[in-house]
Amino acid sequence: MAASSIELRGVEKEYRRDEFVVPVLSDLDLTVAEGEYLALMGPSGSGKTTLLNLVAGLDVATRGQVIVHGQDLGRLSESEITRWRANNVGFIFQTYNLIPVLTASENVELPLLLTNLSRKRRRENVATALRVVGLEGREHHYPRQLSGGQEQRVAIARAIVTDPYLLVADEPTGDLDRHTADEILELLEQLNREFQKTIVMVTHDPLAARRAGRVLHLDKGRLIDDVINESPISAAS
Amino acid sequence: MIPFKYNVRNLRVRWKTTLMTVLGTALLVASSCILFGLVEGLEHSLKVSGDPLDLIVLRKGATAETTGGFESKKADELLTLNGILRDGEGPVAAKELLNIAVAERVSGTFNNLIIRGVQPASRKLRPDFKIVAGRDFETGKGECILAKPLAGMHKGGQIGGELVFGEKERYRVVGLFTAGGSSAESEIWADLKDVERNTGRDGSVSCVQIRAAGPAEFDQLRKEIEDGAQFRLAAHPESEYFATQSDASTFFKAAGTMIAVLLTFGAMFAAANTMFSAVKSRTREIGTMRALGFSRGDVLLSFLGESLLLSLLGGGIGLLATLPMSLLSIETMNGNTFASVNINFRFGWWVMAVALTMTLVMGLFGGMLPALRAVRLEVIAALREL
Repeated sequence: MAASSIELRGVEKEYRRDEFVVPVLSDLDLTVAEGEYLALMGPSGSGKTTLLNLVAGLDVATRGQVIVHGQDLGRLSESEITRWRANNVGFIFQTYNLIPVLTASENVELPLLLTNLSRKRRRENVATALRVVGLEGREHHYPRQLSGGQEQRVAIARAIVTDPYLLVADEPTGDLDRHTADEILELLEQLNREFQKTIVMVTHDPLAARRAGRVLHLDKGRLIDDVINESPISAAS
Repeated sequence: MIPFKYNVRNLRVRWKTTLMTVLGTALLVASSCILFGLVEGLEHSLKVSGDPLDLIVLRKGATAETTGGFESKKADELLTLNGILRDGEGPVAAKELLNIAVAERVSGTFNNLIIRGVQPASRKLRPDFKIVAGRDFETGKGECILAKPLAGMHKGGQIGGELVFGEKERYRVVGLFTAGGSSAESEIWADLKDVERNTGRDGSVSCVQIRAAGPAEFDQLRKEIEDGAQFRLAAHPESEYFATQSDASTFFKAAGTMIAVLLTFGAMFAAANTMFSAVKSRTREIGTMRALGFSRGDVLLSFLGESLLLSLLGGGIGLLATLPMSLLSIETMNGNTFASVNINFRFGWWVMAVALTMTLVMGLFGGMLPALRAVRLEVIAALREL
């Protein structure tokens, strides 16, 4: 069995709303292997995005341990976890979250500005990332000049440009039509298959989930189902 | 660090808001700079008027030339003292007689003007004295020369015209002069004898201006004039004398500072308002950048930088807008002599300092609260913002 990439031990997450404590995740144990492609499913409010945020270092567990790539995230200070995110996680959002005033290549370059790479190396990496997502020739386009699918490709290029260990995707196809969504899912599969990226994806779309190697179902903050897709649907099939 | 082009382009995208904030800031900076430019002009005119080797001799107890009259006989003796700088034409020292006359402006209103009766050496005692139009007056012919800023302001106040003050005093204007921006540039100069005759004040002078041959002679002359039994007069170093004449500039400076502070506060709120709306509309972008790994410090610097850029643009335009003011000359009244004084706008260090201070204060303090708001945003909450 592959080495564990993500490990959650007795994780609980609560939010405080005025005097009320709202439990979101309860007693969650989970192990994700390196290079695994995981889909998180469940109704709204089931805690899947919260789980994604914990794994990505955007939020901290109220209780329990979240260990990613050997690092206990609960032990990191805010500035350490910010740096950790920059080095280890690539983010893909439902609404792409590109910076509208920056061109495609400038958007992709953003995470590289936090590294010590030279300008030349940054440009090379940006060009490579844009090539991987099939957007050569669109470097100087602003987000408003791109289609939804192309914007999401730019976002994916931004997520992989630092060669992070983990990709987290929060409903990456939620804003796209079926055909474009399939293209994006195919790209994610490719990143998982060819570059061995560990991917955690939140989705409501059963078709999207069927492309992942493993599907977790959450409900009311609890893990209720954990299914291994023996033969995930691939775009090629 | 978040790239600065992110801020520049955001300002460009929101060009209407940016333009309004920049123009508002520019107006505020310009109005303060104009005020301080005039104060600096006044101070400059007084500063350049005082040569370190020059003495102004007045009656003891007098605070201004207009009230410092003494006998002409004493004045003649003063001109013979050792220690006065001499050139080929004699001592660099002059008796001068001042008359404050009521003059009718072209507009029909009246103001007080200083008519200074001078001797040839008076010209050497002013910095960069120059006839810039027409010619110098000839002795005893009832002619006068006008300071250039006064040209055309009064009836008969142009070359070839005749300035009339009351029933007896009239001078034909033959030339215009400048004197390095000194206080003389608010005066009319005529021959000492003519002024004596016209005012019926022969036998007395308002002051004697003396240039010492050197620093040692300067001290010796001063002692002799003040303590010598035959004189008993006050010999003021010119620089000190003009410093005491700058009450008006102190007032303007205090008023100007107060106005500038109030305007800066106003502009600060405008800048803060713009930046608050910038933070509000870009909450999700802030969340995204924080998720990507940019720190709170990066976000703070980015928004402060944007705010500074906004105010620097306004400050720069405001400062540039004051440049044509160098052509501006305003008339005010000397509180000591009640005579009109012309002040030229001067674009100097004070103006620069005022513009820079206002700009930095507006940018930093106006941007601080919105930037702190951006910094305090929780990443997850910011990412959810529509």
